[in-house]
Amino acid sequence: MKRGFTVWFTGLSCSGKTTVSQGVAEELRKRGFKVEVLDGDVVRTNLSKGLGFSREDRDTNIKRIGFVCKLLSRNGAVAIGAAISPYRATRDYNRREIGDFVEVYCRCPLEVCIERDVKGLYKKALAGEIPNYTGISDPYEEPLNPEVVLETDKETKEESISKVIRKLEELHYIQPAKVPEYSGEEEEKIQKRLADLGYL
Amino acid sequence: MGLLDRLSFKKRRALVIGLDGVPFSLLNELSAKGRLPNWAKLVESGSFKRMNSIHPCVSSVAWATYMTGRNPGKHNIYGFVDRYPPSMEVFIPTSRDMAGQTLWEILSRAGKRVVVINVPLTYPPREVNGILISGFLCTNIDKIAYPKEMAGVLKEMGYRIDVDAWQARNSLDRFLEDLHLTLDKRIEATLHFLEKEEWDFFQLHIMETDRLNHFLWGLWEERDAQYGPEFLAYYQKIDGILGRISAMLDRDTRLIILSDHGFCGMKKEVFLNQWLQREGWLKFREENPKSVKDIHQESKAYSLIPGRIYVNLAGRESSGSVCFPDEYERVRDEMKDALLGMRDPDSGERIIERVFKREELYHGPHYKDGPDLVAIPRNGYDLKGNLDKKELTYKGPLVGMHTYDDAFLYLKDGEINRKDNQFEVMDVMPTILKLMGINSPEDLDGEALL
Repeated sequence: MKRGFTVWFTGLSCSGKTTVSQGVAEELRKRGFKVEVLDGDVVRTNLSKGLGFSREDRDTNIKRIGFVCKLLSRNGAVAIGAAISPYRATRDYNRREIGDFVEVYCRCPLEVCIERDVKGLYKKALAGEIPNYTGISDPYEEPLNPEVVLETDKETKEESISKVIRKLEELHYIQPAKVPEYSGEEEEKIQKRLADLGYL
Repeated sequence: MGLLDRLSFKKRRALVIGLDGVPFSLLNELSAKGRLPNWAKLVESGSFKRMNSIHPCVSSVAWATYMTGRNPGKHNIYGFVDRYPPSMEVFIPTSRDMAGQTLWEILSRAGKRVVVINVPLTYPPREVNGILISGFLCTNIDKIAYPKEMAGVLKEMGYRIDVDAWQARNSLDRFLEDLHLTLDKRIEATLHFLEKEEWDFFQLHIMETDRLNHFLWGLWEERDAQYGPEFLAYYQKIDGILGRISAMLDRDTRLIILSDHGFCGMKKEVFLNQWLQREGWLKFREENPKSVKDIHQESKAYSLIPGRIYVNLAGRESSGSVCFPDEYERVRDEMKDALLGMRDPDSGERIIERVFKREELYHGPHYKDGPDLVAIPRNGYDLKGNLDKKELTYKGPLVGMHTYDDAFLYLKDGEINRKDNQFEVMDVMPTILKLMGINSPEDLDGEALL
């Protein structure tokens, strides 16, 4: 059985967690892994339906996601958590519980997130319509020692995805991908050469 | 070490000539008949012993073992093709896949200047202190050399990377013409670099002997009236080259000549994947599978050339279903027995001589990337990995095949301190380092033969 692990994306709303986590999931699936993404926004419509945004409810939500990640990881799957997860202590709790835990911090300045405002929630929060909104009226505690720091305001989506993948290779959670040595035409030539010699 | 020794070490140079696939026994035979006068002279003034190769004994694995002084579990090269289990993509391993420092990289770091020409598995060329012209895994001469500019020199002289082996299927005459021309160009380049470059270590690799043996060995053995003499003439040409190069060397330059494996006549090619299918170990998802990517999840194993067998392991192969460790061990044991019982459908002869489990052959960080079993055929049966063959055996234009125990090592003005077949190709690298007064890295598997 493959060794399972959890990749945990944390960062402000609109910092790129969903985008990068989906790209990472896609790459890992291509490499033959079974992957589940537990996205904060989706989880709040089922697993954590009914929970609010008080500190207690947020902690419960993050611990539930962490619990599912732990079950998946120990059965050889890759679990990807992508949730704001603003409190350091709760993320660290999940790290301890899961063990094989790779924390990815999507660092992006608040102004850029506000500008992106994909869901229109920053606008509402700034207008005082949403209480306890991370970054506006609730704190976000940056990770102290994340395995990966993404700078999603400066990097392309592809660069961010490859940073995560490279770290997973470095940590031996996944094998480095094969980089093709030959162009298509060269590959054909070398295959023919080896086949002519009876080596293929 | 005294001061004089140190001073003499400083001057010590080495020139290595690799003769791909040349058997110890053939050199002995031709030499005894007086056909190789230069060789006979060299043998008088040096030590010439029969050497073991490495399993599986193909050039890429054997030369990777030679140049790193390590077993495949450390250098990570197991054949001319390999597969990436998470996706089951098949790829051709190159120098980028080879782990560990090479002989010429160690020498480069010790400040020695090196020139290396045409050694298998040196493509793409890795950096050295000097010049490295890679070998036949290169298809584009512009990319063949380190430093890159050397490609210009080679192009100017009409250098040829390799012969076109396909010609041998249509016209042996044209194949031989190509074989001569390719060797001539290789030697022209060699003489150019020998004379024009400063070097402490020089390695020339002659690939053409392997190509000759693959297509003409059988004709030589049968004493074919036309091609038997052509075969001999080619070896006499090599003899002339050895004479010419050895005469150029001064007293402080040590000459080492070696081959990576032996050769014998081939009766038949044996398609192991076809056998695995017939025995119920292997199934495909497609009727006409193109690669091992198409194997069915219910398969227990598949094979890559030559004689490498991989268990379809759950958690490793993307199509894997065999569980580690109990089922894995059971599959290996049952398959080993079945392989040893495999017979030539025509003659009833046994095909497999021996089957190794990977832990009997390999150790090191890349041990787990190696084949789970390695089947060693009896001489005459060449194990292939083709997926598209419907028959179990085939007799085609390839008439020679590699052997493990008939490679050779020659050392001029010195004594190899082992008996025939009491040492392996991986022992040559530490021997050369010792000759040149350079300490060997600690994790080598080979031992100096001095």
